Amino acid sequence: MARTPLLRGGVAVAIAAALVLAAPLALDQYAISILIRSFLFGAIAVTVDILWGYCGVLSFGQATYFGIGAYAFGLAVTQIGLSPGVALGALAAGCAVSALVAWLIAWLGFGPRVTPLYISVITLVEAVIFVQLIYSGGDFTGSSSGLSGFDTFDVSMEGWFRIAGLFLLAAVVLGAILVRSDAGRLLVAIRENEQRCRYCGIATARVKGVLLAGAAVIAALAGYAYAGYTDVIAPDLGNFQFGTELVIWVALGGRGTLYGPAAAAVLIDYASAYLGGTLPFIWQLIVGLVFIVVIVLMPQGIGPAVASLARRRPRAVAPPALATVADAEVGGDAAKPAIAVAGLSRHYGSLRVLDGIDFTARAGELVSLVGPNGAGKTTLIRCLSDGAERSGGSVAIEGTPIGRAAPEACVRLGLGRKFQAPNVFETLTVADALRIARARQERLSPWRRAQSIALPAAARLVLQATGLEDALATEVRHLSHGAKQALELAMVLAMQPRVLLLDEPTAGLTKGERTLIGGILTDLVRRHGLCILLVEHDLEFVREISSRIIVLHQGRILLDGSVAEVTGSELVRSIYTGTPEPAAA
Amino acid sequence: MSAALDIDGVTAGYGESMVLRDVRLSVAPGEVVAVLGKNGMGKTTLLKTVMGFLPARAGRVRIAGADVTGTPPHRRAARAVAYGPQDRAIFQELTVGENLRLALPRGVRDMQAGIERLAAFFPFLASRQRQRAGTLSGGEQKMLIMARALLTRPRLLLIDEITEGLQPSVITRLGEVVRAERAASGIAVLLVEQNVGFALSVADRYAVLARGEIADEGPADADAAARVAAHLSV
Amino acid sequence: MIGLLLDVATTAAILFVVAAGLLITFGVLKIINFAHGGFLTVGGYAALVVTQAGGSPWLAAPAAFVAGVVLGAAVERVIVRPLYSRPLDAILATWGLGIVIVQLITLAFGRGTNFVPSPVSGAVAAFGTDYSAWRLIMLVVAVLLAAALAALLQGTRLGLEARAVIMNEELAQGLGIDSTRVRFVTFALGAGLAAFAGALITPLLSVDPLMGVPWLLNAFMLVLVSGTSLASLGLASLLLGGAQVVISTYGNPVLGALSIVVLAAVLLRIRPAGFARG
Repeated sequence: MARTPLLRGGVAVAIAAALVLAAPLALDQYAISILIRSFLFGAIAVTVDILWGYCGVLSFGQATYFGIGAYAFGLAVTQIGLSPGVALGALAAGCAVSALVAWLIAWLGFGPRVTPLYISVITLVEAVIFVQLIYSGGDFTGSSSGLSGFDTFDVSMEGWFRIAGLFLLAAVVLGAILVRSDAGRLLVAIRENEQRCRYCGIATARVKGVLLAGAAVIAALAGYAYAGYTDVIAPDLGNFQFGTELVIWVALGGRGTLYGPAAAAVLIDYASAYLGGTLPFIWQLIVGLVFIVVIVLMPQGIGPAVASLARRRPRAVAPPALATVADAEVGGDAAKPAIAVAGLSRHYGSLRVLDGIDFTARAGELVSLVGPNGAGKTTLIRCLSDGAERSGGSVAIEGTPIGRAAPEACVRLGLGRKFQAPNVFETLTVADALRIARARQERLSPWRRAQSIALPAAARLVLQATGLEDALATEVRHLSHGAKQALELAMVLAMQPRVLLLDEPTAGLTKGERTLIGGILTDLVRRHGLCILLVEHDLEFVREISSRIIVLHQGRILLDGSVAEVTGSELVRSIYTGTPEPAAA
Repeated sequence: MSAALDIDGVTAGYGESMVLRDVRLSVAPGEVVAVLGKNGMGKTTLLKTVMGFLPARAGRVRIAGADVTGTPPHRRAARAVAYGPQDRAIFQELTVGENLRLALPRGVRDMQAGIERLAAFFPFLASRQRQRAGTLSGGEQKMLIMARALLTRPRLLLIDEITEGLQPSVITRLGEVVRAERAASGIAVLLVEQNVGFALSVADRYAVLARGEIADEGPADADAAARVAAHLSV
Repeated sequence: MIGLLLDVATTAAILFVVAAGLLITFGVLKIINFAHGGFLTVGGYAALVVTQAGGSPWLAAPAAFVAGVVLGAAVERVIVRPLYSRPLDAILATWGLGIVIVQLITLAFGRGTNFVPSPVSGAVAAFGTDYSAWRLIMLVVAVLLAAALAALLQGTRLGLEARAVIMNEELAQGLGIDSTRVRFVTFALGAGLAAFAGALITPLLSVDPLMGVPWLLNAFMLVLVSGTSLASLGLASLLLGGAQVVISTYGNPVLGALSIVVLAAVLLRIRPAGFARG
């Protein structure tokens, strides 16, 4: 029994590689010829799983990149002839075209305001376009019948078997390293809660674009090998039916497991080759029926269902150690207001939720926003942290106008936002969530786990006080509501913002915890010169910690003054207790 | 005679957080009970749990003696329960008439008598049935919610912050219609309110929710306002 | 010119008829039914069975509608209902169902291509030109179908309930509307309409197990840009279908075949709500 997971993994990979290298000695020619294809398909299934199972991007387009890779080889050899230079050039061209197309698809599919379903739609369209382009290529592409019989590499069947087998193994191993790394946790974080990632300052669209392009290159490599081996290229290598088949294999094998999709692709494709010949329609029928049953009854797929029968208790991963970073220098230019809002409005159609909002807040101020339900408090916070939200007016952070900037860009200006309901990553551990929050300060490695997380003192205080420090290895979904609130606050503080927007940070916390967090907030303001904007319903809490209070009512600022002025106001009291307001309000 | 509504030790919440804890409250036939409390104390969640939009994690909900815990909302509504939620409470794209018609039980087509009865309080109902509900003013929308809830003479009315954002005259009229319907048909009402004055003026009893538990309850008498204010104080 | 206008109008009519079932399912259930192509194929084969058994070609479409409704009702109960809370899985499961339908049909009827006799044949003189009689009938059918669906949605209790569920399901439930039942009826109706459309296009195209696939993609894209509105679907069918006809006629048939999906994809990128308001 191996001692460490790393060693155990290494032994498993060595055994798998040895099996791949030795298998051709034991298998008959037909089995070898089929398995080469199955292995290549398995490798693309792994990329579909990383995209969909881990990062939540359901792409039907992986088949298209497979097709592009295959046509790159086939066309180059048909048009120019086979030479090492042409072969390498075709390889480079296939990968480059795939990456470029994937980048274009990412630009289209991960744009602002685009629905999450759109990436699936656009990858479907991509596959349709690919096929139509091949059809319209005439003799050049061989149209609907494709091309065959071109010169190809002088590699034996056994050689191709070993290449394809090692390629699949490499895809699984590299995939496993990626998904277990810090960057891999980010992929899951994006799937779980893209919004939170963006408010951690991460340009998620870029991350997904890079992932899509990387997956496209792997699929193109597989397609290139496929064309080299089979000596046949045809439009159906890249059509959406094949793209969908890949998704089916991933769902059957178990999304988010890597080994499940790889195994499902190899087994189903291999079985198809045998049974597809004798019982073609029944075999397809069985796959379809099994697929429906799995989706309805075992959404996690067959792999995890089988594994859970054999599984010992899950391996505990030791949580990283926490360290404290020196507090950042207090924010930029003290002469400029930390946040300046002028003439801000927000309307939905004819409904004005915010109108004529003007205020500034400076470093070292803790400004509370209060007002009854529907006054527009949360909408205001949203307009301050996302340039696309407001209908009119301007917002500047430390003198820099946010314009129409996306949340991640606002965060880079020094903004931190805590949401009203706890907005965290349910399936990540507490440590991983904190790690993601620090991603802007410390790059996430794509191949390993950091051994320690450095956090500013304020974030560590929150963790200590709420007991989260002892729960670093706990998955966030097992935390209580209050602990999630505290975690999100710690995550926001970990980003070392200079302007902090907090929407009900203490809802769901106990009295003691609230007092403590109040202390941390006032300390951040007084000692570190942060500017905090706080939305709170608990006026007692507001009174204790605020330096100023802004009262919002029906989308306008009703009052902006000191704690004493606001709490003594008859008007505010009447709004809160609901006695009819004066008609002129 | 069994209570029109009996909330018996109900615990409910979202995800892992419990918004309501062991809430016990009952409303007798013909009784008006006001549920008061600050924002975020679980008032709306209480109504949603009574209607079945949120499962009760513990405890039972009984409507006119029948245990409805675990049944879907439309089954509860079919037990002559009318519900006026706080947010998105009308179909903006439908006409006033269509909004009203949706409250009729399946198979019942005639609502003329109900509209005539309620038009005494809300005259615009009779004349503007073909108007799109989204184009009504805020106050008219609230009146439409109330009218739709009362159209079929329910035995139990659950209504969530009907006075929010309304001018005093409209609030007065809403109070009148509740009193008149109660006198005419003995309807039981569970009223969730932030407007303490309105709530105590129509209610027989009040209950204050604080952090998901009933912190205080009592008759809506002369002293009630002072006792409630203590719980809601700034 | 008249010929081109008729081509545009009749193409739009056919697209509208084909996509209408998908639209109402999507509108009420918020689920894209990828078995729509399969249901379409079922309709085509229903027409084949009816006519081969000696039935009148006029009976083909009504028979297909009934077959579609029955099939849709069964599918809703067994496959779709458990997946309401998982819309993405519902798309995948209905895709799997599409595969199953195609394979079952292949097992029963073989892979070959079949032809269904048209209730009317040849061309008729219309607007000063000779034009395919069946395509003109499709135009009439589309208008009648749009009117019937509008009447169903606007004029009946079921339609009112369906619109209420589309707009705000929770509020509808609170008023005593059984949204599960509304969904069931809607899905069955959507499947019925798909099969109905499948039978109606048989006089124009051959019947084979994969006949639904190209239609599915076009219908899917049309529904995405139309949201939940029949009027938007009519507009989208006219504009995108018109673009297809014009590009195929004056440009390149390959581009023509792509025009609906590509234009719809571009439109959705610029304006995620498509032709729908919002």
